[in-house]
Amino acid sequence: MKERAISKSEALIKLTVNGQAYERQVEPNWTLYYLLHDKMGLTGVKMFCDRGACGSCTVIMDGRPILSCMTLAIECDGKTIETVEGIAAANHPLIDAYVKHHCMQCGYCTPGFVVTAKALLDRNPNPTEGEVKEALAGNLCRCGTYPQHLKAVLEAAENLRGE
Amino acid sequence: MAKKVPGDYEKLKAEGRYQIGADVPTVAFSEIGRRGIRRLDGYEKSSGQAIYTRDVQLPGMLYARVLMSPYARARIQGMNTDKAEALPGVRAVIRYDDGEVRDRMLNGCYFGPEWVCPRLAGWALKPIHPVLGEEAWHEGQPVGAVVAADSEDIANEALRLLEVEWEELPFVLDQEEALKPGAPILRPGADSNLLERPGQVIEQGDVERGFREADTIIEFRVKRNAHLWAGAELPSVLVRWREDSLEMWIHEQQPYHAKMLISEWLKVPMNKITVHSTYQGCSFGGRGNPANNSENGMNILAALLARRTRRPVKLLYDRSEYFFGESADMMVGRFKVGAKRDGTITAVQMKNVFAVYMGTPGIEHFIENTRIPNLSCETLTVDVSKGPAWWCRCEQLPNALCLTLVFDHVAAELGVDPTEVALKNDGYDGRDTTELSKYKREHGFPDRDSLKECIEAGKKAIGWDEKWHPPGTKRLPGGRMHGMAFTWSHEWDDTRGTGSAAVMIENDGTVSIIGEQSDIGVNPWTAYCQIVADELGVRYEDVNIKPFNLDHGFALMSPDGSANLCCNGEVLRKAAQKAKKMLLELAAQRFEGVEAEELDIKDSVIYVKAAPEEQKTIKEAVARAMPMFASAAFWTEPPVIAWAWHTQGIWGTALETGRPRLCRQAHFIEVAVDTDTGEVEVTKVVNVNDVGKAISPETVEGQMYGGTYMGVGRALSEEMVWDEKTGVLLNRNLLDYKYATMLDCGPIETIIKETGMGHGPYGTVGIAEDVATLIPALLGPAVYNAIGAWIDEYPITPDKVLEALGKTWEGK
Repeated sequence: MKERAISKSEALIKLTVNGQAYERQVEPNWTLYYLLHDKMGLTGVKMFCDRGACGSCTVIMDGRPILSCMTLAIECDGKTIETVEGIAAANHPLIDAYVKHHCMQCGYCTPGFVVTAKALLDRNPNPTEGEVKEALAGNLCRCGTYPQHLKAVLEAAENLRGE
Repeated sequence: MAKKVPGDYEKLKAEGRYQIGADVPTVAFSEIGRRGIRRLDGYEKSSGQAIYTRDVQLPGMLYARVLMSPYARARIQGMNTDKAEALPGVRAVIRYDDGEVRDRMLNGCYFGPEWVCPRLAGWALKPIHPVLGEEAWHEGQPVGAVVAADSEDIANEALRLLEVEWEELPFVLDQEEALKPGAPILRPGADSNLLERPGQVIEQGDVERGFREADTIIEFRVKRNAHLWAGAELPSVLVRWREDSLEMWIHEQQPYHAKMLISEWLKVPMNKITVHSTYQGCSFGGRGNPANNSENGMNILAALLARRTRRPVKLLYDRSEYFFGESADMMVGRFKVGAKRDGTITAVQMKNVFAVYMGTPGIEHFIENTRIPNLSCETLTVDVSKGPAWWCRCEQLPNALCLTLVFDHVAAELGVDPTEVALKNDGYDGRDTTELSKYKREHGFPDRDSLKECIEAGKKAIGWDEKWHPPGTKRLPGGRMHGMAFTWSHEWDDTRGTGSAAVMIENDGTVSIIGEQSDIGVNPWTAYCQIVADELGVRYEDVNIKPFNLDHGFALMSPDGSANLCCNGEVLRKAAQKAKKMLLELAAQRFEGVEAEELDIKDSVIYVKAAPEEQKTIKEAVARAMPMFASAAFWTEPPVIAWAWHTQGIWGTALETGRPRLCRQAHFIEVAVDTDTGEVEVTKVVNVNDVGKAISPETVEGQMYGGTYMGVGRALSEEMVWDEKTGVLLNRNLLDYKYATMLDCGPIETIIKETGMGHGPYGTVGIAEDVATLIPALLGPAVYNAIGAWIDEYPITPDKVLEALGKTWEGK
């Protein structure tokens, strides 16, 4: 096996996370997950499947839900990112609905669901059951809390619409 | 065969210390059973505030990674670590021939003759258990070397730079193949791959007589392929030394056991070990102590690296490394069943061949909740080149599979409604429901027919009487075939486990529960606060628990022993009752001429029973009762704090001797089978659970939903697939190991029955394991009902459905 050197060529990126501006030196092999979780302390992004299968590391980037474990940090220069911490800080009705409807057991995947649901409600404030299911189908929950998410997301949507 | 009587039972009974009977609550329920209580962990978990072991970092922390065998069976002939050690950022490499690990074995997990006894550990089925050896008995076994480096990337790079000279050894994957002549013998010195286990033959009555009495004999075979826990949070441990004291953050279900084990291995006294158990990403047994190196071994390796580098060390597994170990139902079963025309089962004989297995043999639910008089179960456990199979939500999987298949085969063969077959054979220990009723009456239980109630509710909910049809006869609009099935069993949650906790009235009148508990998601803390609130007479909002620290000495039973609320509910009830007595004795001093017995508490207010308008707040009562205070300006009183301990059942039996299981569970399912593609869709599930008493109804429903999804995945798509030529696992990731997503199950209806006949406090029983364990079995009969052919191998993947329909490539 050939010896491989660890790359040292860092780059400076600027990004907005939860409404605040950051400048960070990142190594080219760092994932966005690693930057947010390990370097910025935003532990709401979770490493579950470790290869883009489960949705637990989802963050919203420029309005779209993306998998932070499959995204290189160095590519995020100039991007706007929202994590579950930002969603909770803004008192988004999803959080209360999630607590009320017991959308968690161990809770490890829960932030990923909240972020995915937030991205859905941002672009579709009045989703049908089918649209909620489709939006959340890429998020895995080993505890199987799925039916409760459906209730919570629909209720949060109602609250957002002021109904 | 008479059931085994555990050691101390007769003595305890003779002394009057062991009593069984219905639970009679001494308080009115205000919080217990109430809907709409805000769950204690809800905000932290949904907002991202909840910290898990994987999230914890310490200043100066190093990252450790361990080499794992890439082969099904192999030996290291030599290893050159020079390049790895020379890599910048590598801080330590421990090799298999290092003095600290050479010839050092893992220790066990349970008390035995040698304190923590290797013989009794789950992985003891494997021949040798080095912490870091040179020989691998299965792919993924930690062997050879462990490295610590400045980053995870550097540690991974160091593993890649290890020059290992492997000697591949012959392997065998299938348990039946492993018993054939010529199969490689896996254990040194053995002449067969058969592993010795106690209880290999269980017999009750006389099966031959039962077969003679039968109108029909049914024989069938089933194979269950391996699945596994695949928990959310990947294994990790963070360790640091403080002089000769050890501090650990662990992702484990039984933190106190972990403390015992590492103390024994490193010879560090237990009073010098601090264990933090933060939130835990679900594990379903995968982070329970029977797990081999992936628990105890990784803790040891991290501690050794931390001592050598004098830095905190976090040892991590990745997803592909969390795939070694299987469900406890990796089995081939052969059944012979005798039944009368009306569905009465006269005899059940089963011969089950398990691979590297610890768990249940398959017959126990027949013993514990049927009247079938003649039972025989022969169990063979065979060594194969796979990781050990152990508890995987839960060890009752073989029992649930065998019971479901026997009952549904009988119903199918006789053309009798399966709910009728269940009702005909309900009972316990070979006795019928008449005797069960008698038992209930004699012990103060309500004489309710739990199974009948569950079946009636479930049939109504799913429309059973309108929809039930003979196999292979109902085509749905669109062309798919409709199938439905039913199964049942007894109450879940074994009567075992030990826990302890204290209830403290803080100086401001709020209530703290002091007791460590490893969270695995079953919302136990909310339930504990509900129990303490009602027992004390305080508001739910005034009670809290901070369960992450083991140092205060109290530890509640972990949910993974199949016993959480039954044991811990009792602990909290006792502690709260003691604390209330202390509190009222103190409070009496604040009233004029009133004794403690004349006081009570409601809604967090202390009042005189005979004159309820005479009141004091709890804060007023405990104003001077405090653990410490700096000033001598006024006197203080001892704090109001009471602790309790409870042990549930007697270790070694699944059930307290003489206490039959009284609650029943019933599960109904509907499927649609596409006969062109072989795809099975679950279109409806109805779970009816007699949980005795639902402390937190939403939590019960959560388990009924979650268990269904896990069950559907296990039944239809979850399967570990090995390459027969190389012996390695092919789908070590969550793209190819498929568990159910939100789209994979139709509506789930949850019906809670509360007969109060459970063995836990307030007559409750467990729920978290039942649904996930019975639903997988139920898909077999459901698909049979749809297509008219049995599929004798789980999971029921589309290829097997097509094969059962005769639609194989060969047939085209």
